Amino acid sequence: MNTKPNILLVDDDELYLYLMEKTIHQISKELVVSTFTDGEQAVEYIAKCTEEQVELPEVIFLDINMPFLDGWGFLNEFKKLKPKIINNINIYMVSSSMRDSDVKRASNFEELTGYVVKPVNKVQLAEIFKKIYHENW
Amino acid sequence: MWKKVFKMFIGLYVPLFVLTLFLYYSQKAKQIENITERQIRANTMKKVSFEEKCHSFLRNTNYWASLKYPKNFDPLEEHSSFLRSYLELIEYITIYDQFRFIDLEGKEIFRAERVGNDSIVISALQNKNHHPYVKAGLQLKRNQIYLSQISLNRENGVIEKPYKPVIRTVAPIFDNEQNQIGLVVINFKMKNVLDQMKSTVEDKNVYLLDEDYRVISSSTITEDLPYESGNENSIDGILNTEAITHIRDSTFVENGHIWSQQSINLNGATFTFGSISNLPTEIVTPSNWLLALEIPRTIVKSELQPVFKSLLTFNIISIISLLTLCYIFQKKKVQKELFYKELESKNILLNRSKDLLEENNVMVNEMNNSLEIRNKQLSDFNYLISHNLRSPVTSMSVIVEMIQKEKNPEVLHQLLPKLDKVAKSITNLTEDINDYLSILDTKEIIIIDIDLQELILEVKNKFTETLLDNSGFEVLLNLEAWDHISYSKFYLQSIVHNFISNAIKYKRDNVDSHIQFESAIENKQKVLYVRDNGIGLNLERHGDNVFKLYKRFHRNISGKGMGLFLVKSQLEALNATITIDSKVGQGTTFKLIFEK
Repeated sequence: MNTKPNILLVDDDELYLYLMEKTIHQISKELVVSTFTDGEQAVEYIAKCTEEQVELPEVIFLDINMPFLDGWGFLNEFKKLKPKIINNINIYMVSSSMRDSDVKRASNFEELTGYVVKPVNKVQLAEIFKKIYHENW
Repeated sequence: MWKKVFKMFIGLYVPLFVLTLFLYYSQKAKQIENITERQIRANTMKKVSFEEKCHSFLRNTNYWASLKYPKNFDPLEEHSSFLRSYLELIEYITIYDQFRFIDLEGKEIFRAERVGNDSIVISALQNKNHHPYVKAGLQLKRNQIYLSQISLNRENGVIEKPYKPVIRTVAPIFDNEQNQIGLVVINFKMKNVLDQMKSTVEDKNVYLLDEDYRVISSSTITEDLPYESGNENSIDGILNTEAITHIRDSTFVENGHIWSQQSINLNGATFTFGSISNLPTEIVTPSNWLLALEIPRTIVKSELQPVFKSLLTFNIISIISLLTLCYIFQKKKVQKELFYKELESKNILLNRSKDLLEENNVMVNEMNNSLEIRNKQLSDFNYLISHNLRSPVTSMSVIVEMIQKEKNPEVLHQLLPKLDKVAKSITNLTEDINDYLSILDTKEIIIIDIDLQELILEVKNKFTETLLDNSGFEVLLNLEAWDHISYSKFYLQSIVHNFISNAIKYKRDNVDSHIQFESAIENKQKVLYVRDNGIGLNLERHGDNVFKLYKRFHRNISGKGMGLFLVKSQLEALNATITIDSKVGQGTTFKLIFEK
């Protein structure tokens, strides 16, 4: 972990992870991407970062359906860790569907910045990054 | 109903009737008492009046006895002049029927008889020495006066007609030298006295009886002294009682007649005539009369008539009003009963329909429950398709797009195998969906009676190898509550297989591992507890996802994440439910509740 990652992808679909990484790099070669295949691993990573007082990535794309710990489980754990986190983190919920119940549930988490539906294309990503980095990538 | 009406009426009327009877008899007694009192008063008045008459006779006689007659009194010849002045007096006192002087031998020395009403004649002398009143008269002492019985006048032993009731007074007479020269005998006419006496008061019958209870005079007969006139027919039945007595005055009721009697006995009584200086005169008389007053039954009855009438009217009105009252009451009661009966039958009907409704409700509820489950399943299925199938498809479209744009053959070479991966994942997914769909389609399910113990042992045998390898694992059974159930054999096998498989997969190291199947009945429902002492599950983290597809909770243990999803689907397909309780490091308990 020599270079601090800018973006965290949490999804059990390895193909999605591969494609997302590729798309992000098409936008900017500067952005460092880190991936986890389930919520549990992601939580462990964040916990470790807060312990070592390391800055966290600015953006997290979080899948809902994952084994071991799903998106909701991750958010619950993240809530507990939040007081220890120094920098601002934007979490986007990513789902392959726009199920009403999921959207409603998502709105109850103030930790969430947005809700994105798969597939996430380049234009969408560019817009999100524009907001966060103000074209400073 | 009439029977009831009558019964009620009797119940109400009898006390009323008894009360009226009591009232009637007390009223009657009071009336009789009243009547009796009046009667006694009337009787006393009659008695006094009768006695007064006798006294007046005696006073009259005493006058003659107190005269001083000449010596050797010869009224017809020698002393006719002496008598002449008195003749006028004798003629004037019209109640005198006969006026006689009798010498000491009992022979008449003067005899005056009344003819018509206001003249007298001097008639032929008779010898009266055998007559009782003469005999009694000769026994009299100075200052004694005799009063005879009342009898019909007889002349020469024959009863004079028309019958003439008379009473005789006898008194001794004396000459200047106080020697007795004979007797004065006066016959008084009793007709008027008796008529006056028997004049009825308030329709009462009056009887004057002699000492032998013979009727001298009565208001019920026209002729006086019937026993003397020998009119036998009229004697019988004049007096309707035998309770009359001389012993004491009394009042009594006999056969509805009210009797009141008082005796008149003047014998031995003394009285003073004129001035006090005169010596008192004593009355001598064989007579001992009895004055009786009778109020006949009819009179008593008529006296009581108003009371009787008013009570009768009261009773009739009571009977009518009570009958009406009872009738109305009973009719109302019958109507009420009818109404209640109707209400009851309506109630029964209502209850029946209520039961039916409840039954329907239960059925609807059951249907609703199964529909809800089915709905949930469909929703899950929808999600499964939209989510799990969509992600590989979208990935594929992205790859295809990339391939089209990419010209670098190296990169293309990298991308193409990814397509193969997507195709494989789609194939896997469709296979899983197929499994799931076969469960959802309940038409195919065959329900049979299953011996649970047999089934579990059967499934256990499939794991023989695994179990032999891990000798520490045991399958325990406690199926006392129930061990048979109607269910799909295929499903139940699958369910049991999944439980045993999971229990083996997630067993703890360093402990004797086991899985226990325990049957129970809760709320009349068959319940199956499946317990293991495995590594357990953090429900706080994973509770929502335990039974969901592709959910896995243990990184280092292989699995597709389908087992419990299928178990739940297979249970819900037959209206059973499943819940989980688990503690990390201790074990997991599943509770299966089957349909009633």
